[in-house]
Amino acid sequence: MNIKQFVLYQGAVGMAASMIFPFYILLLRDVGSSFSQFGWAYGLFALTSALSFPFIGKFADRIGDKQLLLVYSWGMAVLLILFPLAYEIWHVYCLQIAMGLFGAIQKNSEKTVLARAVSKERAGREIGNYHIWTSVAAAIAVIGTGYLVDFLTIGSIFYLASLVFAWSGFFIMKAGSTESIKAGNL
Amino acid sequence: MVARYSIAIGFIIIFSFSLHLFSSSFDEPTVGDQSRLMAVKMKAVKAGTTTEELKKIVLDANKKDDVIAIAGMQHSQGGHTLYPKGILLDMKPYNKILSLDRQGKKITVQSGTSWAAIQEYINPSGLALQISQSQSIFTVGGSLSVNAHGLSIRNHSLIDTVDSFRLLTAKGEVLTVSREENQEMFPLAIGGYGLFGVILDVTLNLTDNELYEMSSHTLQYEDYPAYFKETVLSDKNYKMHLARLSISPDTFLKEMYVINYALAPHQSKLVDFLPLKREPIVAIPKFFLGMSRINDFGKRTFWETQKNYAKKVQGKLISRNNAMRSDSVFMEYTNPDKTEVLQEYFVPIDEFEHYLDDLRSVLEDDETFNLLNITVRYVEKNEEPLLAYATKDMFSLVLLINQGKDQNSIEQTRKTVQNMIDVTLAHNGSYYLPYYGYATKEQMKAAYPRSEEFFKLKNIYDPDHRFQNLFFEEYGDEH
Ligand SMILES: Cc1cc2nc3c(=O)[nH]c(=O)nc-3n(C[C@H](O)[C@H](O)[C@H](O)COP(=O)(O)OP(=O)(O)OC[C@H]3O[C@@H](n4cnc5c(N)ncnc54)[C@H](O)[C@@H]3O)c2cc1C
Repeated sequence: MNIKQFVLYQGAVGMAASMIFPFYILLLRDVGSSFSQFGWAYGLFALTSALSFPFIGKFADRIGDKQLLLVYSWGMAVLLILFPLAYEIWHVYCLQIAMGLFGAIQKNSEKTVLARAVSKERAGREIGNYHIWTSVAAAIAVIGTGYLVDFLTIGSIFYLASLVFAWSGFFIMKAGSTESIKAGNL
Repeated sequence: MVARYSIAIGFIIIFSFSLHLFSSSFDEPTVGDQSRLMAVKMKAVKAGTTTEELKKIVLDANKKDDVIAIAGMQHSQGGHTLYPKGILLDMKPYNKILSLDRQGKKITVQSGTSWAAIQEYINPSGLALQISQSQSIFTVGGSLSVNAHGLSIRNHSLIDTVDSFRLLTAKGEVLTVSREENQEMFPLAIGGYGLFGVILDVTLNLTDNELYEMSSHTLQYEDYPAYFKETVLSDKNYKMHLARLSISPDTFLKEMYVINYALAPHQSKLVDFLPLKREPIVAIPKFFLGMSRINDFGKRTFWETQKNYAKKVQGKLISRNNAMRSDSVFMEYTNPDKTEVLQEYFVPIDEFEHYLDDLRSVLEDDETFNLLNITVRYVEKNEEPLLAYATKDMFSLVLLINQGKDQNSIEQTRKTVQNMIDVTLAHNGSYYLPYYGYATKEQMKAAYPRSEEFFKLKNIYDPDHRFQNLFFEEYGDEH
């Protein structure tokens, strides 16, 4: 894999994640009925992330970043198609726990790939460049989806995002190892 | 390679399975304040699941001199469930089905029950509602309080199907109300907008679930009244009916299509159509509705799509229960600056043609008014409730309007709506009260000649205004 492919991958998953993020509050609004339930849903997310980082960290060094990205892509692809089916608050809690785990995998892997890819001297500029493209993708996704919800139902957005994750899963499967990435070429 | 294929296939299977489940289980509608035009800070939200609990809430409010605004699903759009610093009495948890008399075709339910829940309960017994709105998302209490009407052309309005109910009054007493007992409260609480007490449990008359065959036609508005009277109303086989008026610029308020539901010749086939229909995937109608919000091209496309859709229902069979739970999710609209509101006007059948000509001239020069849909139904004369809207046999026109939520847009819509109501009144018509209070006080009085009496009685039965809402404050509080 080269850095362009990695940016493309991160851009795509970032886009898909940002697509659902603002709107999944609307889903919570339908399912949850009080602010404390909101609090719990987000709290569980953060808590699972916190608890899983130590393990993810170890795994990243043992099995490699690529494998973890693969788990992330496919995990999210499947998870997102479960969201539209949630109709009780405990469904949302379970999904949030899984989201917390996958979110942590993505957070950690993005950083480990970059850490292995950048040169110490130019790390600032290289990571900066990397972020330009992924942030642009996220911005486009949020704004675009804002329009989409006028036309589609919230449910369809989850399916759409899931397809993007599935595509990213294939992309990672086909791409070579992340070890070869050199951020300098971006 | 093999791994990739198996993952692809695995994913496709889960994906389709989820999509299938999703499309067939989307039954429970969104609840909450629907028009999002009003946000009011209330003191507290209270609820009860027993008569005693509800009674205590009213007695406590008496002690502390709090006012109560009663709320069902809060689909009314004129602050009928809201009052600043008041207690919102949420009736949704008060939702048990108490008894079903299969032979006598009667059901008794607590007033927070939704039509959908009743349908699920009675469908296996071969029974159906006599009257409900076109959708089944509302509570029984909220529907009684507006005296709802729907697709059925063989019953008057909801009041017609009510046998009796219990009413929790402002003093905290529980009365049994029917046409024989405490009968003075019957036409006040029904169509009473939560001002005469909390409707507790309600006994409704049911009818048989039947199989209907749908048919549709396109016609011109001037032919519609005669068509309706001669073809539909006079033939006892027709049970339900609705029509739509074009909002497309080319045929604006001229072209129409109708959808009829007639008793199907082979009722034995009903068994195949019994399962209650779930909300289908709504992406397509929602997409076209979305286009029609934007411009004239979108409106043309939307109208053409609707007409084509209507053609497709020709010959389709549907149970009565399913006909009374039509789709609503495609209307769920999430733009933060805009919202969609309803207006409904009633005009005597014979005024329909000239009424539309006048309405057209009001709307044609109005650039800013974004009209998305007009549904036409029939309501039979019924003057039983004090706030009766059908003082003759009438057509009702429901308008779906897209508008901004800022003050400016509200004022613009107000002007247009007031003009439309003037036209309606000039044709001996009336307008429906559950929607945003754009009408002036004078218009309200003209549309509801007995409203003064209604508000006077409110002051007699509830002198402290224990039951309050913004609708009463706007139109009734001077009495
Ligand atoms: C999309 C849409 C479609 C509609 N279609 C139709 C239609 O086809 N036909 C039709 O007739 N109307 C229709 N309406 C209007 C609808 O019937 C009324 O707004 C109805 O009141 C909604 O019921 P609800 O449960 O949401 O009541 P709410 O809006 O919660 O309450 C309505 C009124 O009832 C009072 N109330 C509620 N529960 C009780 C109770 N237990 N005791 C005493 N008072 C109570 C409230 O104080 C309030 O004044 C439609 C509205 C919308 C938004």
